[in-house]
Amino acid sequence: MNPTRRRARAGRWFIAPNLAAVAVFMAFPLAFSLYMSFQRWDLFTPPTFVGATNYRDLFTGDPLFGIAVRNTTVFTLGTVVPTVLVSLAVAGLLNRKIKGIGLFRAIAFLPLAVSSVVIAVVWQFVFNTDSGLLNIMLSWFGIAPVPWLTEPHWAMASLCLVSVWKSVPFATVILLAAMQGVPDSLHEAARIDGAGEVRRFVSITVPMIRGAVWFVVVISVINAFQAFDLVYVLTGSSGGPETGTYVLAIMLFQQAFAFLDFGYASALAWVMFAVLLVLTVVQLRLSRRNAVDQ
Amino acid sequence: MSACGSDDDALTFFFAANPEEADARMRIVNAFQREHPGIRVRTILAGGDPTQQMSTFCAGGKCPDVLMAWEFNYAGLADRGVLLDLNTLLDRDRQFAAALRADSIPALYETFGFNGGQYAFPEQWSGAFLFYNTRIFAEAGVAPPPGRWETPWTFDEFLATAAALTRRSGSGRVTQWGFVDTWSPPYSAALFGMNNGVPWAVPRVNPTHLNFDDDDFLAGIQFYADLAGVHRVAPAAADTQSISTMGLFTAGNAAMALGGHWRYQTFVQADDLEFDVAVLPTGPAAAAKGMAAQSAIGSTGLAIAADSRHREQAWEFLKFAAGPVGQSLIGESGLFVPVLRSAIDTPGFTAAHSGIRNLAVLTGGPAHSEGLPISPDWQKVHALMDRAIGPVLRGKRPAASLKRGLTPQIDEVLATA
Repeated sequence: MNPTRRRARAGRWFIAPNLAAVAVFMAFPLAFSLYMSFQRWDLFTPPTFVGATNYRDLFTGDPLFGIAVRNTTVFTLGTVVPTVLVSLAVAGLLNRKIKGIGLFRAIAFLPLAVSSVVIAVVWQFVFNTDSGLLNIMLSWFGIAPVPWLTEPHWAMASLCLVSVWKSVPFATVILLAAMQGVPDSLHEAARIDGAGEVRRFVSITVPMIRGAVWFVVVISVINAFQAFDLVYVLTGSSGGPETGTYVLAIMLFQQAFAFLDFGYASALAWVMFAVLLVLTVVQLRLSRRNAVDQ
Repeated sequence: MSACGSDDDALTFFFAANPEEADARMRIVNAFQREHPGIRVRTILAGGDPTQQMSTFCAGGKCPDVLMAWEFNYAGLADRGVLLDLNTLLDRDRQFAAALRADSIPALYETFGFNGGQYAFPEQWSGAFLFYNTRIFAEAGVAPPPGRWETPWTFDEFLATAAALTRRSGSGRVTQWGFVDTWSPPYSAALFGMNNGVPWAVPRVNPTHLNFDDDDFLAGIQFYADLAGVHRVAPAAADTQSISTMGLFTAGNAAMALGGHWRYQTFVQADDLEFDVAVLPTGPAAAAKGMAAQSAIGSTGLAIAADSRHREQAWEFLKFAAGPVGQSLIGESGLFVPVLRSAIDTPGFTAAHSGIRNLAVLTGGPAHSEGLPISPDWQKVHALMDRAIGPVLRGKRPAASLKRGLTPQIDEVLATA
């Protein structure tokens, strides 16, 4: 066996465990869920082929799908836009050479280390209408108690708030790393030309890290679309109150594990996948075009 | 208590219980093991949603041998072949079958009869009634509520009592509620509808229609919703975020609490809580029909998994827990209200509820219970109800909105069930 073939063989052996894991834990479940999306299956009785019925029911006969899509869209927008803006601002503030900046960075990144469940439980206390920290603070300014988690619209706002709080650290890490790659000479030149700090940030820093911003947008959209654990713990397994936080991932869970309709849940999963795929491709194209322009 | 899954020879028993109940439950399990030393029981205490947990266990091939069954969820499992038809075992154990049938309360026994099979034996009557704080009533000089189902009080009397016992501080903040609900509000609302003279489901088993379009039923729901929304004699959802309704009653901050016997262990173990039980009020439509107050045939039972590898041991366990011996023990322990006539009106049951003067509320409860719907698609119905009744309970929509907002959707689900 010549050295090239031997190296290739060794390479195949090296990737075999990973490949096996991908096949078992990713490829097979994906293929299986696609197959199941054309079946009616309740886990206990044999699946029956129903063609595209699950998809048809989803788009034409299920009012909850419309509610879930609307809520997911609101949640995605309510999470992604503030996340990008806040993380840009935070990264800008942390991208300074001042004493103790390491401590500030560590504090800013702390939420990244906390699990969603813990975050949700803690925020439940904060959102308590009667004795929550938030309403107590609002009362100092004479603002009446806000029904954060007990009224559907406020519950969605609360969910977005927590999600932004959770997402900002990761986005900040990415944007801060990108910002540190922006040449100082550009800032120096702009400063000499009389540009202020805000102007330099908007006209130099942000355009220079456009690629990272797009990456943050894509990741945030995907995370928001797939949000489950935070919703489940914060507002309950059925996306309450009523359907205030009934997002697509909660609908999927409910169909699969409460209604035992795994075929329908699989169809929903593939619809979610298709939507995410389209969004991601569009965003990548936009970001590539921007990179070329740059 | 341990998780299920290991391959030992123990009989696995899945049940849900609050911490106080779990202790009493274990006494029954231990009594069974003393009587049957050859059968080892491994208990699995439910966490979270027991229906989801059971479905997941059973779908994964790790179905517990004996499962606690609820009237709302067992039909879905029975319909999918998860539960064993106990008639197959009753047929070969005719002596026990005859004794069980003779001693059973038909409405409770029939609760677990579905599509010609018997999928569980009832183990407890868990219908809802009122607990009331006797000290609060005495100190306020308010007459205690009635203690017999045959002599109900009216919605108006109930409201007046709750209003008289609701206390507010100078700032308007409520310091003592007249009424709290420790059950599930959508179900409690339906129970008030039933107590206005209308059954919830038609027919009870495999219903084709729920009466959310009946004016009298809706009036009962509206009355319940107005207790918090209009009259402010009961807490709204926002009022119970920092302390549960159960906590409010236990701490002496609520005069009356709707709940079932499953709350008894908690209340009886609370410090400085003096309480008794009372019947639910009836609405004007029920009064016009001369109806007695009603509870719900809340009942949990014991079922055997169809693919249990310990079927014989499981059968012995069921015969013990749902039969005369276990039921007497259950009555004496104060764990549940037993479901066999021979175990209800017994000195042991009375002794276990020594602080209760209105014992007839418990002993007469099973006979004054209206059936709750039994459908294999109840989870879907529940989700629809939860969504539609929420705005009614928050006071955002009238109960009449359920006529168009809920009834057609439920009927559609039931039609395809």
